Amino acid sequence: MTTRAKAKADARRTLALDILNHGALALVALLFLFPFFWMVSNAVRSNAEVLAIPVRILPTVFDWDNFAKAWTTLPFGRFFLNSVIVSVSVTVITVLVSCLSGYAFARLKFPGRDKLLMAYLATLMVPGIMLIIPLFLIVNKLGMINTFQGVILPVAFGTFGSFLLRQFFLSIPLELEEAARIDGASRLRILVSIIIPLSMPAIGLLSLFTFIAQWNNFLWPLIVMTGADNATLPVGLTLFQTQQTTAWNYIMAGATLSMIPGVILAVVLQKLIYNSISLNAGMGGR
Amino acid sequence: MANVTITDVVKNYGQLEVLHGVSASVTDGEFVVLVGPSGCGKSTLLRMIAGLESISDGDIEIGDRVVNDLEPKERDIAMVFQSYALYPHMTVRANMAFSLKLARRSKQEIEQMVNRAAEILDLSALLDRYPRQLSGGQRQRVAMGRAIVRNPAVFLFDEPLSNLDAKLRVQMRGEIKALHQRLGATMIYVTHDQMEAMTMGDRIVVMRAGVIEQMGTPLEIYDTPANSFVASFIGSPSMNLIDGVVHSANNQLVLQADDGATWPLPSHLNVKAGTAVQLGIRPEHIYLDPAGLPAEAIIIEPTGADTHVQLRVGKQLLTGVFRDRPDISLNATFHVRPDVSRAHVFDRVSGKRIGA
Amino acid sequence: MAVVERTAAQRVVTRTRKSRPERGEGRTAFFFLLPSLIGVTLFLVVPIIASVVLSFTNWKLLGQPQFVGFANYIKLFTADPQFWPVVRNTLFFTFEYLVLNIIISLGLAVWISSLKLGQRWFRVIFFLPTFTPGIAVAIVWMLIFAPGGFFDFVTGSLAIHLPNLLTDQKLAMQAVIIVSLWAGVGYNTVLFNAALDMVPASYLEAARIDGASAWDRFWKIRLPLISPTLFFGTVMTAITSLQVFDQIYVMTRGGPGSATATLGYSIFQKGFQNFQMGYASSIAWVMFAMIMALTAFQFWLQRKWVHYDN
Repeated sequence: MTTRAKAKADARRTLALDILNHGALALVALLFLFPFFWMVSNAVRSNAEVLAIPVRILPTVFDWDNFAKAWTTLPFGRFFLNSVIVSVSVTVITVLVSCLSGYAFARLKFPGRDKLLMAYLATLMVPGIMLIIPLFLIVNKLGMINTFQGVILPVAFGTFGSFLLRQFFLSIPLELEEAARIDGASRLRILVSIIIPLSMPAIGLLSLFTFIAQWNNFLWPLIVMTGADNATLPVGLTLFQTQQTTAWNYIMAGATLSMIPGVILAVVLQKLIYNSISLNAGMGGR
Repeated sequence: MANVTITDVVKNYGQLEVLHGVSASVTDGEFVVLVGPSGCGKSTLLRMIAGLESISDGDIEIGDRVVNDLEPKERDIAMVFQSYALYPHMTVRANMAFSLKLARRSKQEIEQMVNRAAEILDLSALLDRYPRQLSGGQRQRVAMGRAIVRNPAVFLFDEPLSNLDAKLRVQMRGEIKALHQRLGATMIYVTHDQMEAMTMGDRIVVMRAGVIEQMGTPLEIYDTPANSFVASFIGSPSMNLIDGVVHSANNQLVLQADDGATWPLPSHLNVKAGTAVQLGIRPEHIYLDPAGLPAEAIIIEPTGADTHVQLRVGKQLLTGVFRDRPDISLNATFHVRPDVSRAHVFDRVSGKRIGA
Repeated sequence: MAVVERTAAQRVVTRTRKSRPERGEGRTAFFFLLPSLIGVTLFLVVPIIASVVLSFTNWKLLGQPQFVGFANYIKLFTADPQFWPVVRNTLFFTFEYLVLNIIISLGLAVWISSLKLGQRWFRVIFFLPTFTPGIAVAIVWMLIFAPGGFFDFVTGSLAIHLPNLLTDQKLAMQAVIIVSLWAGVGYNTVLFNAALDMVPASYLEAARIDGASAWDRFWKIRLPLISPTLFFGTVMTAITSLQVFDQIYVMTRGGPGSATATLGYSIFQKGFQNFQMGYASSIAWVMFAMIMALTAFQFWLQRKWVHYDN
């Protein structure tokens, strides 16, 4: 065989292996996506068909009305709204509070700054589930059981945001700030007009992860929101699961609704997510 | 318009003192350059005038007010930064209008003032661009535009040209000077480049290690440097300094150099024999003279207009600058004559100038 | 024009007065920090302290709390018949989940990085469950595992005779682990994939020229180079898996019997079903101690396998 023919054969073999490699992983990915498929497939059939033995992969009739029914009658629409209120409020408060404190840590001189920052970092070590009991007692004492404030406030003052934004603010050239001071800007004005507009990547990241964490949060709203009307989506999903006549098709419709924002964000913001995680990968020691 | 008076100003960071009691005054409308090697405290002093650094001791007055405790915005100053510090998320127009907006000027007024400044600096066509879309020189002009819109009493410049390439630097030097003449405002300009200092300043303040070494007009400083540091810092190539001891020979004072050679000294020196001194000779005060001292060329650097020559007289290494292209070849002997009448003498211990 | 020259030695710093701008800065900092400080104090510092104090009381929400010293802890370790099984379940879950999670996510990460096309889409697919509510995920899987459900259908079709996972004492925990893996491998997959992307190609090319096989290049070059990231991922995954709750609440409620009761579930059960606030707090501190111990153990272990550049 000539070298050229050999090279050609090699190239063909590599290409074949490549196609096989992609195809195999695509198959794995399809299997991985099966639970999503199963969820939607069961959301659009009758409850009898959900429980039918043997199972049916696809519904006999695609009943897309189930979504509308789940939205109004169960009422997942209400839960969805509650989830939006809680997640958005926590995100807004977290971002505002973190911008202010992050700026103080990054750019203002005050006695004990470094020690306070260390204390903030130390609180990151405490797992959330440990504080559930005292937090519940505090919320109870404040009379905020079964209220939105009760769900929102205790989780809106995490220290991670302060630290994240401090790190980002430090990377903004100090001279920009000095120029603004000479232009006559107060510290608050500098923060609002200069620092925040230039920190949108970090603020976006903080908002994204705060929103998702709250959207997916279960235990805390489960404990605080004792009334069914105030339940967030994850809590709402479990309310009907425990009833005798479980309407599985509606629950699957509700589960689908609860996943929509996260799926959209994961797909649309994949680049931002990947970059932030690769920052973590880089911090892993390199 | 305002004078700036600096009295006994000290700056310390914790235990470390970086300015050791500095006093100087700048008269209304003057262009003063603070020059010195890096770490001499010139930028710190400028930033203290601006209000970006606190004043540990002493007073700074702008106009008739002591400004020690005033915020930068209350001091009636503007500053141009080394990095320009243009707000990256704002257009040129918004950059220039920012301070006016904060001062709550009317929209119409802002428009007018920004347009006027843009016209002066030839920025009118760039007003809607973002800083990232501008060249280095254009950014520099925007930075100046941001300063002049407010019509401040004092302009502060912190090494504004050091990020530009050599050619642009020379051009901007001229533009800043022209701006000074046009506006007639007080300007204080920090640089580490002695050439910039010489060409731009009405007066120069030479600093080293937190202390002012000398103040004066460029030519005063060039012609009568107060000490050996100023002598070697100002002027390029640097002044030649020959170490030795004053000797009296035939009623005439001469320098017995450390390497054993004897050099003539300027006449009427107020110095006793036996004093350790440095004899300073500027490179351009060394002339070719067939009747002079034998010298050997070590390095020859033609710049086109001049020729810089590293030469050796006896064991002493000297630098000479000669007009045009002298007939000198490497490692060959030629003859030079230092112009002693224009030489400088400094005390070797204190470094201070010894006059007549 | 007056030139005053003084040297550092001559001058003694007489006063270090604070200028007004500097004092103003401290005040600004105070106001900027205030919202955060109030929140952190009320919802983080006070709860941490309260949790310690509570763990030494017998408070049951109603009635007066009484200080009982170490009684809660003594009861936990010596008298409570549920405690040791719960610790065992938690450690069992953590260990199996951690090992499988790291293996699977590393495998997927390497596989994805070998692709020429569509890397980012595969990353997104495996990452999707990370961004979806754990409760919804658990409910979907519960339907899959339900008696006569899809899982039973598949095992039946393949003629594998398995009891229903959720109702079997031995297998229920496996069901919980499968769900947790599905929900949890995505983050580590992206993390490790990003780390692999950062390995400079020149290292691999150099090894190739040196004659290293693909197998060697993986084990001797890529893996050691991403080991700091692997370590980071392992520590973080271990910390979260010791707190496992959502899946268990939905799928098994700790059952059947107490086969899947973990520390996280125990805290919830004791605190919010039995209202034994003091007792539940002591369980929380046992969990904290376990998290710290496992993390410390991993840091000790890392010297043996994590390779740092400097």
